[in-house]
Amino acid sequence: MRSGFAFALCLILSLTACEREKRELSPQPTRSEAGLATDFVAGAGALQPSGNPAELNAPALSEGKTLFATYNCTGCHANGGGGMGPALMDDEWIYGYYPDQIFRTILEGRPNGMPAFRGRIPDYQVWSIAGYVRSMSGLVRKDAAPGRDDHLSGKKPESSTDKMQPSNSAAPTVP
Amino acid sequence: MSPATVAQSALDAAGPQSAAIEWLWWLMFVISTAVFVGVMIALAWAVRRRGDHPASDAIMTRWVTGATALTVVVLFIWLAASVSVGRASGTPQLKDAVTINITGRQWWWQLEYSDTLPSNRFRAANEILIPVGRPVVLNVTSRDVIHSFWVPNLHGKRDLVPGYTTSIWFQADREGTYRGQCAEFCGLQHANMAVFVRAVPEADFQKWLAAQRRPAADPASTEARHGRDVFLKATCSQCHAIRGTQAGGAYGPDLTHVGSRATIGAGILPNTPENLQRWIRNPHQFKPGNKMPPHDLSDADLAAVSEYLRILQ
Amino acid sequence: MAAKDYANTRFSGLKEITTDNVASLKPAWTFSTGVLRGHEGAPLVVGATMYVVTPYPNNLYALDLTQPGAPAKWVYKPKPLTASQGVACCDTVNRGAAYADGKIFYNTLDNHTVAVDAQTGTEVWNTKVGDIAVGETLTMAPIVVKGKVILGNSGGEMGIRGRVTALDATTGAVAWRAFHTGPDADVLIGPNFKPFYPSDRGTDLGVSSWPADMWRTGGASAWGWISYDPELDLIFYGTANPGPWNPDLRPGDNKWSCTVFARRPDTGEAVWAYQYNPHDLYDHDSVNEHMVLDLMFKGQMRKLLVHPERNGHMYVFDRQTGEVLSAEPFAFVNSSTGVDLKTGRPVMVTEKKPITGRVVRDICPAAPGAKDWQPTSYSPQTGLLYIPHQDLCQDVEALDVGYIAGTPYVGANVKMYAGPSGQRGQVQAWDIVNGKQVWKIQENFPVWSGTVVTAGDVLFYGTMEGWFKAVNAKTGAPLWQFKTGSGIIGQPITYKGPDGKQYVAVFSGVGGWAGAIVAGNLDSRDPTAALGFVNAMSDLPQHTTKGGTLHVFALP
Repeated sequence: MRSGFAFALCLILSLTACEREKRELSPQPTRSEAGLATDFVAGAGALQPSGNPAELNAPALSEGKTLFATYNCTGCHANGGGGMGPALMDDEWIYGYYPDQIFRTILEGRPNGMPAFRGRIPDYQVWSIAGYVRSMSGLVRKDAAPGRDDHLSGKKPESSTDKMQPSNSAAPTVP
Repeated sequence: MSPATVAQSALDAAGPQSAAIEWLWWLMFVISTAVFVGVMIALAWAVRRRGDHPASDAIMTRWVTGATALTVVVLFIWLAASVSVGRASGTPQLKDAVTINITGRQWWWQLEYSDTLPSNRFRAANEILIPVGRPVVLNVTSRDVIHSFWVPNLHGKRDLVPGYTTSIWFQADREGTYRGQCAEFCGLQHANMAVFVRAVPEADFQKWLAAQRRPAADPASTEARHGRDVFLKATCSQCHAIRGTQAGGAYGPDLTHVGSRATIGAGILPNTPENLQRWIRNPHQFKPGNKMPPHDLSDADLAAVSEYLRILQ
Repeated sequence: MAAKDYANTRFSGLKEITTDNVASLKPAWTFSTGVLRGHEGAPLVVGATMYVVTPYPNNLYALDLTQPGAPAKWVYKPKPLTASQGVACCDTVNRGAAYADGKIFYNTLDNHTVAVDAQTGTEVWNTKVGDIAVGETLTMAPIVVKGKVILGNSGGEMGIRGRVTALDATTGAVAWRAFHTGPDADVLIGPNFKPFYPSDRGTDLGVSSWPADMWRTGGASAWGWISYDPELDLIFYGTANPGPWNPDLRPGDNKWSCTVFARRPDTGEAVWAYQYNPHDLYDHDSVNEHMVLDLMFKGQMRKLLVHPERNGHMYVFDRQTGEVLSAEPFAFVNSSTGVDLKTGRPVMVTEKKPITGRVVRDICPAAPGAKDWQPTSYSPQTGLLYIPHQDLCQDVEALDVGYIAGTPYVGANVKMYAGPSGQRGQVQAWDIVNGKQVWKIQENFPVWSGTVVTAGDVLFYGTMEGWFKAVNAKTGAPLWQFKTGSGIIGQPITYKGPDGKQYVAVFSGVGGWAGAIVAGNLDSRDPTAALGFVNAMSDLPQHTTKGGTLHVFALP
């Protein structure tokens, strides 16, 4: 009886990791509209950000990290510290820190030099990259964020970085 | 479906290295079979003799000693054969060798044909052309996980380890297209990571080299030109390179001469316009989980792109 | 011109300020540029007007030196594209303007060269010479030679194709264009091209020394200093690093990156060239100043070209032939054992070669080199060269990279830190003829400002904390200093005002590659930020904030 109970317990526990570790083998080429560039809404309206399912998914965030280097994001943003482009691992966000705002930033570009990647990177990859960007400042679950990698970097891995509460963006208000 | 003209088999050696390995295999097989048959005969005889008076200690000792001695001798023969085959297929210094740098990627083979003149160096993917009768040196490494290069008709396996470059050399003594594959589990599509080695006469090889060194053909027809436009405006150039255009991505295979390849997707599909379109529309239909995204281009755009890629001979 | 003269000596004959009285130097007036990015420029004084070009958005102010406080007479605003800020590798700097024939000429970040009427501030012509969509920008100070405005582009980290363009000074039309990679016809190499060393001789080396077609994205820009010898009728300048940074991706000598060219200003045709760093491994651009000096060298009067190179060696050439007469190290170098004067090639150390996928540690000098763009000055009175520079080493991991137009084409994780001296900056006085250091001053941060030396034997330079300093040019003894509002990375100048007094002027406003951590608000928890410089400068924000002020000093 005890071994049966132990077995059932293990089975239940093992299922809790399913969502986090699920790999999407056949992603869809969907297009979506989401995100405003700022959280300052006229008429004190409510900002309704949409979530990013990639942020709960470890393979998606890991793929986001690989694509962040492949698409040369590291060329301007380094490994989060910035360079030609602003730092992404700190608490200051010029164009918003919600998942869909970052999604928009990548797709549309921004006036001061961020290139637009609409049509160049499929949406599901942009969501992965956006999720990874948030993980750089500790805004995603620690058990889904990428761990230590085999590269010269020297910063703390995303899974153990301090959570940087965004400082210059307001939380949504409800009228 | 496969362009291979020879059965993918280590027992159909096409070069000296694989011939040596095949010889070793046969030696071991023959001796093992003889030993097996001998043991079975001895077993059968022992079973038949059961009940008769047991053999004396002296006779038993003689038989056991004899068998042990024979085993030791066989093992030494195998050791010597194995060492000699290993040394014969090692990597000596070779002048006049064709040198190719291979980087294993998930789940395709990145090739770079080397040359003393830098501008003769170019990149290709998945299909290796070599001249018959000339040694070929492969310098191999990996960009992500451990792969292993194995073309059984030509040589044994060599692991491609990230961060580490090693080499293997072989020679093809007869013409043909030999199929190989990745021999070290490397992820979801490990089973679909084929490589083809085509051995051709020297003159054909030089012609192929000259063609591959040239930048991509300029499209002549309207459809191909439109295809190039679509290629450059969509996601393609983020990962693929076509020399002579703005596309310089290095995450996926170099497509400068993709039209000259017999298969796409590292051997998953024959290279025809219909297959190219199906592949671009949804590569995950054939290789689920691979790194290339699906595309929702219109039918006309897909046809134009596949036409453009077709003319890149 | 920004370099003071065609020879690029940055020596002033003014003697009112001397080693005896400089201690009483006082601020005379200041001018805020209105911009808070890195100020690498030099103000330009023509007659009684000072011309100031700001970092992006590259506004041009004409300040009236005859009035107290030097009020602005007019401002010209070229309004460059905002997106150009995103493709400038090393801050949105501008290194200065040139004056000729009643016009001020300078470059805007988004690839326009403009000619502005020096009296009225109206635009005379405006020529677009590049495209930000492929990562090109302009940051350098042009020079005007024989009626042509000569400029070089920036963007070696973006996979551009480097080139120098000459525009007609009257109309702005393109007179000639010399690329630095590709076939000889594009590089303007013709029958009169006579390089001194065998490895620089051959046909179409700008193609054959690259893997197939990689010369098209080969970098080799020309964002540094151009000098001119009117007697030989040759302009001299160096080209920048090849792209990408990862050398494994581009086997071959990668010509004509890291090369000094001697060209005819009328046609651009190359007369000789010498490649400092064949198959560059460390982003050692060769764009630093080439000073045109005639000196007694080893017993003979010779026409020399003197160049402190990023790779840590002081090159002295015979500028008629391109022969390297000496190449002594002026800084700590462990990535090479020296320059073989017979072949002209540096002897590189195998253990310090970057390898894809591996980390190679302790490479000196680091990517900014022993000295970056910050210009040296030369005093004919003391016979010494005054070199502002840095002492940095690095770890580097070379990586695979793909070319995506408009994005960086680098392929390396870099982490820099202080070199063996433990002090990141230095100003040294160098004896050219004997090839050795005479004195040195160490500074906490890289000395990213230029130097200017006067006939009063006073040497001026600025530090990244914001101190503007005067030292004795003969001995290096400190004489005076003033704390400005922000780190100094610009080029100091000295001039005679309309009232006959000697003034010294410098921009204060930290930034540039070295100051990116402040100018860009970067995060020092990532040591690879700003291509590795952030790791070496993580304490800079404690010493300076952003700024943008021109400071002018004079004796009371």
